[in-house]
Amino acid sequence: MVEQQRITVERVQVRTAEDLGSGDHACAVPVSDEGLWELTARFLASGLARNEKVVYFDDGTSERVLDRLTEDRMPIAGALRSGQLQVVPAEVTRGAFRSPVGDVRALLHSYVDGSVTQGWTGFRMTGQMSYGATTPAGIPLQAYDRALDEVVVDRGLTALCLYDHTHYSDDQIEQMRGVHREELGAPAAYDDGLLRITQTARSAVRLAGEADHSNRPMIHRIIAEALDRALRAADAETDIELNLASLRFLDVAGAVALVHAAEEFPSSHRLVLTDVRPAVLRVLDRCGAPFAAQLSVREARVGHE
Amino acid sequence: MKVETRVPETIRLRHAVQFHDGPVDQVDRAVEFAGAAVRRGERLALAVPADVEQAVFRAVGEAGIVSLATPSGAGGGSGQTTAALRARELRALVQSDAGVTVLCAHDPALDGVDGGYWTELDAALNVALGDLPVDVVCLYPGFPLHLEVLEGAQANHQYLMVGGALQENPRHRCPQVVLRERDPSTPLVLGPPDLTHRYNSWQLHEVRGLVATLAPELGFDPVRAEDLVLAVNEVATNAVEHGSPQAEIHLWATAAGLVCEVHDTGELTEPLPGMVAPHPADPRGRGIWIARQLCDLLHVWRDRTGTHVRMHATP
Repeated sequence: MVEQQRITVERVQVRTAEDLGSGDHACAVPVSDEGLWELTARFLASGLARNEKVVYFDDGTSERVLDRLTEDRMPIAGALRSGQLQVVPAEVTRGAFRSPVGDVRALLHSYVDGSVTQGWTGFRMTGQMSYGATTPAGIPLQAYDRALDEVVVDRGLTALCLYDHTHYSDDQIEQMRGVHREELGAPAAYDDGLLRITQTARSAVRLAGEADHSNRPMIHRIIAEALDRALRAADAETDIELNLASLRFLDVAGAVALVHAAEEFPSSHRLVLTDVRPAVLRVLDRCGAPFAAQLSVREARVGHE
Repeated sequence: MKVETRVPETIRLRHAVQFHDGPVDQVDRAVEFAGAAVRRGERLALAVPADVEQAVFRAVGEAGIVSLATPSGAGGGSGQTTAALRARELRALVQSDAGVTVLCAHDPALDGVDGGYWTELDAALNVALGDLPVDVVCLYPGFPLHLEVLEGAQANHQYLMVGGALQENPRHRCPQVVLRERDPSTPLVLGPPDLTHRYNSWQLHEVRGLVATLAPELGFDPVRAEDLVLAVNEVATNAVEHGSPQAEIHLWATAAGLVCEVHDTGELTEPLPGMVAPHPADPRGRGIWIARQLCDLLHVWRDRTGTHVRMHATP
């Protein structure tokens, strides 16, 4: 009875990217590209914050990951310069999956050795490993994953394996899910593959991706919900924040919807758009945002760092 | 025109026509009108052929006179595009001044195949300039090559200018009626497009992707490319939102920028969408208006098969 209860608790508990630490080897299956960038960036950022050596094995995806880290206000330029954050080139990532498993195990050990020598408090890694699923050396991806797991246990590193629907087939995802002890959750309030909406605080919401005619009703709904939460809680903030750092496209009707939403707010509350990218800012300007008294628009900081 | 009646709150567009007997008479009347306007101290803007403009400058000087931009696309011009351009220029002028007097003159070089350009231009001006304190006087030939030019001028002008005074024009009709009754202003057919894509409401991101890929190759800088993506997105959205569930976009990559057409099978109720900025409280109609601001040409036409929009943007 007691044993059963313990297992139930374990299964219900879903950890996030920030919870992972030394000796953890988890997988995650993001529902969208935006979800993939978000999860990767969160995992890498928590390693940087812990002063760990952080390695991303690239295969054409690092640019979006680094963009997302910048949008999340992580000072990555310094971390890249110091070597704390390392992007392993796609040729090396792919080369590993053309090598025997023993070589890859040795390679991982050498990475960990390097991070110890450099004095980092730990070592964490993730990346785009989908090339391995094509078994270029005739070796299944599971075999490489097993080797990784041995090094994780042996050396106490932290690994996150990401299986996204863009790069992996459903069958491959299910197989890889099966060999991992833990799967991370990355809950979103809404994600249609084009626009991802996450609640980041009681009255703060983050939009990532593109907002257009196909997901227009969501903008209204998400603002109404955030306002509702703020109004119902007596001590809640009077600013409803929409972080647009990762919103790359907003159509005219979407911009008009934001302006109108702010105008319909009770006079005690404001709609605050933060980290707005230049293209989105221009649309908002053309749709009357500067004249809406209860709408505050803050630009994204220019440049990295 | 009396200066003392010019009270910004009440004055709206006054659009008058004056017919002339031929090129020489046109120049005489232009010089006479411009001289009188300048003597009254009015801010004068000219949209006339080059020879007329030079004659005006010789006679009354250039002080206080603004030359409006010359429309492009001789032979295949778009009256609604020229009207949107004029509205943009004049709106900027009246913001810094009480009002503007505009002298326009017919230029047969822009007639196109049937002179319909002028009918569309004047009708579109009535829509686009309606709320501006602007007096527009258009010089038209009494005996034009294309009868359409005369009939259009008679229908589109609220006033006739006779002997320096304005008279109500009994034949004046509202622009929507004028446009609905004439043949669709189908532009000259282009060659086969470089890219064709069918899409629905959930595939608008694919349309944006096509434009975003093409734009840098055609020399658009990143900011202009983003604006172009927005402009095409708005027209493409309109087609599937108000037109038909499925629409089609055609793209031409040219040395002079991007040309694209959006075709839907729906019926457009408003013959000239996006000619005026919608009221801030109005959630609709802003997309096409913004697209017109961002493109060098945006031409909407209807026929039996549906609604069509052609856009042209230069880097």
